[in-house]
Amino acid sequence: MEETGWIRRMFEEGMALKKTYGEEHVYDFSLGNPDVEPPEQLQKELIETLTRSPRGMHRYMQNNGYEDVREQIATYMKEQYGLPFTAQHIYMSAGCAGGLNIVLKSILNKGDEVIVPNPYFMEFKYYIESHGGIIKPVDTLDTFQLNIDAVDKAINKKTKAILINSPNNPTGVVYTRETLKGLANLLYKKRKEGHTLYLISDDAYRKLIYDNVELPNIFRIYDLVISVTSHSKDLALPGERIGYIAISPHIDNVDALVSALMFSSRALGFVNAPALFQRVVGRFQRNSVDILDYQKKRDILYNALTAAGFHCVKPMGAFYMFPQSPLKDELEFIHILQKEERILVVPGRGFGKKGYFRIAYCVPLEKIMGVLGGFKRIAQRYITKG
Amino acid sequence: MKDSSWIRAMFEEGEKMKKLYGEENIFDFTLGNPIAEPPIALKKELVRIVTADTKGMHRYMPNSGYEEVREEIAKFHRQQSSLPFTHDHIIMTVGSAGGMNVVLKSILDPKDEVIVPCPFFVEFKFYIENHGGVMKLVDTTSDFHLDIGKIERAITKRTKAIIINSPHNPTGVVYHENELKGLASILNKKKKAGQRIFILSDEAYRKIIYNGIAFPNIFTLYDDTIVVTSHSKDLALPGERIGYIAISPLIKNGHHLINATIFANRILGFINAPALMQRLVGKFQQNSVDIMEYQKKRDTIYNILVESGFEVTKPMGAFYIFPQSPIKDDVKFVRFLQKHHILAVPGIGFGKSGYFRLAYCVDLQRIEGARQYFNEVGAHYRK
Repeated sequence: MEETGWIRRMFEEGMALKKTYGEEHVYDFSLGNPDVEPPEQLQKELIETLTRSPRGMHRYMQNNGYEDVREQIATYMKEQYGLPFTAQHIYMSAGCAGGLNIVLKSILNKGDEVIVPNPYFMEFKYYIESHGGIIKPVDTLDTFQLNIDAVDKAINKKTKAILINSPNNPTGVVYTRETLKGLANLLYKKRKEGHTLYLISDDAYRKLIYDNVELPNIFRIYDLVISVTSHSKDLALPGERIGYIAISPHIDNVDALVSALMFSSRALGFVNAPALFQRVVGRFQRNSVDILDYQKKRDILYNALTAAGFHCVKPMGAFYMFPQSPLKDELEFIHILQKEERILVVPGRGFGKKGYFRIAYCVPLEKIMGVLGGFKRIAQRYITKG
Repeated sequence: MKDSSWIRAMFEEGEKMKKLYGEENIFDFTLGNPIAEPPIALKKELVRIVTADTKGMHRYMPNSGYEEVREEIAKFHRQQSSLPFTHDHIIMTVGSAGGMNVVLKSILDPKDEVIVPCPFFVEFKFYIENHGGVMKLVDTTSDFHLDIGKIERAITKRTKAIIINSPHNPTGVVYHENELKGLASILNKKKKAGQRIFILSDEAYRKIIYNGIAFPNIFTLYDDTIVVTSHSKDLALPGERIGYIAISPLIKNGHHLINATIFANRILGFINAPALMQRLVGKFQQNSVDIMEYQKKRDTIYNILVESGFEVTKPMGAFYIFPQSPIKDDVKFVRFLQKHHILAVPGIGFGKSGYFRLAYCVDLQRIEGARQYFNEVGAHYRK
């Protein structure tokens, strides 16, 4: 609990601060809970679906979801990734978190290891451990791109999969084609040596990418890919718990994997993804919330922080930024931020990486404008110009 | 995997039969997927909520769910039990199945034992084993009530909980106040000796009870009680995955347990119960689908079975009936039923050979339509 409690702890400290100083005087950048609303079209579709109210629309369906919805998604995936996805390759899940859990339960045996590039979303650790697996965090490069040599060294007989997340929480980095090709080469090399490894790709932020940065087609770079995504961010539906698993058409015997996923979703208590939102999201695969809005926020905040002297890798996607802490002990630093400027962020150790802190900038623009002065003052006080 | 696959295996064989003989000629009693629709008032309320389009209504909320919804549910439990429930005691979950997993993850250490009366809903085994627990099956009496003596003998130092499910799947039995008091008294004995054993009560069917039979409030009978329920059956929303955990206010240091469940809800990947459905169900705690419809179906299927010569305990609730198989081998018998156009699940799928389960949450005409086939099968075995 110690390591994961950070996001929530900061959130709760924030609530206390808000009570003391008033909401408008607190700058809470601790939670990835976007303030945006779902696309208007989607809200209309939701009302229309409920007004039509087809008989049986709230009943159980197959554990993997409605076939017509999976068909719609498969069509989208086929267009996007140029591979022969069918409805059978799509498995509706209760968001990304639900999808990852049923995938991990389906592929892991007790003691199997899963490599996760560090820093990482701390929940991955729990997801892996819940199903008897062992997490092997592997440090990334200074750019937060994958360190292929380090991944190579971390692979052993027990390694079952590598779990990546791009665009990345907490760094906002998008893995380059070169990086992913390097990873694929390594995994293919291992295959030749008789060791088969899955690539699990958490694609929750895949539509939140700035400056037309390329999101490499992971399904074409490696064959044994299981992608897990959600509509929490792109359609701004985090509370509704809706997402899906996309199994690469390159994976043999997809039926066996789907049966395992069905069993896992029943055994873990998900049973199926929520019915109503399955029906709604099928038609919105090409939509997304306004990216430019996020991009503007990223630009303002990134430019202000770097101008003030913070060291930070420029985020290419998602809505997180992961600057270096000016003080070696980032815990001390975030307490200063909180005390002196009422700015709430999450310490890097909440993501397995001390000496950094995470800013979630999915907040109203006024909050971003309002916080700039605070960061500037803090920088003047604590960043020693070298 | 093998023991769980019966329901699905039967379902799939059924699909083949339907193709072969035509859907109208196959009488499928395998799945507990009710054909009932949610109450009309609920459907209206759902449209009203989405039309009102409150800002932020699809965002994350606290992992335990919306406070005002939990307060509505707490109020319901205050009225029912006269115990001081507050919203803190209610955690919104992804149905009963989600709620059971959350509770078991919260209370079990590896190798801890959980007692389950048999026959039982086979998923319980997976829920327990997911979190390192060991299931200890204890046979019920011949009419499927709790055998308190056997339960007492099954308790060991590692026993952490007993799961009860009343009204019961697959038998339709509702536990009486007396037997629950009996259970409470042996658990209280253990408590005095220093061992706390939770009653984990799966009440997914609690509103589907016939002939006005009393449903004892377990919270008033035993302190260390956790209730898990869902709105899959009473509000006919199984596909939407909405339910909740209610933790007794009488549990000592209950806040530890409450915090553990909220944490488990997150790390098991549920995060929170679906937002829109949470907003919906708070106001419908007193409502239910039409019980009389189910009761008519229960009476019909029960009478058909009796007239066909089956030995069967009359269900008091839920929408399942669990007759004896005329031959010992229930799998063989279910295959025989199949040849006579009837699809059922063998008792072995619920840990009890020699029986079979019929889920009668289907159209009444389907039940009537199956009469001649049950009669035929019954006649065959009387010969």
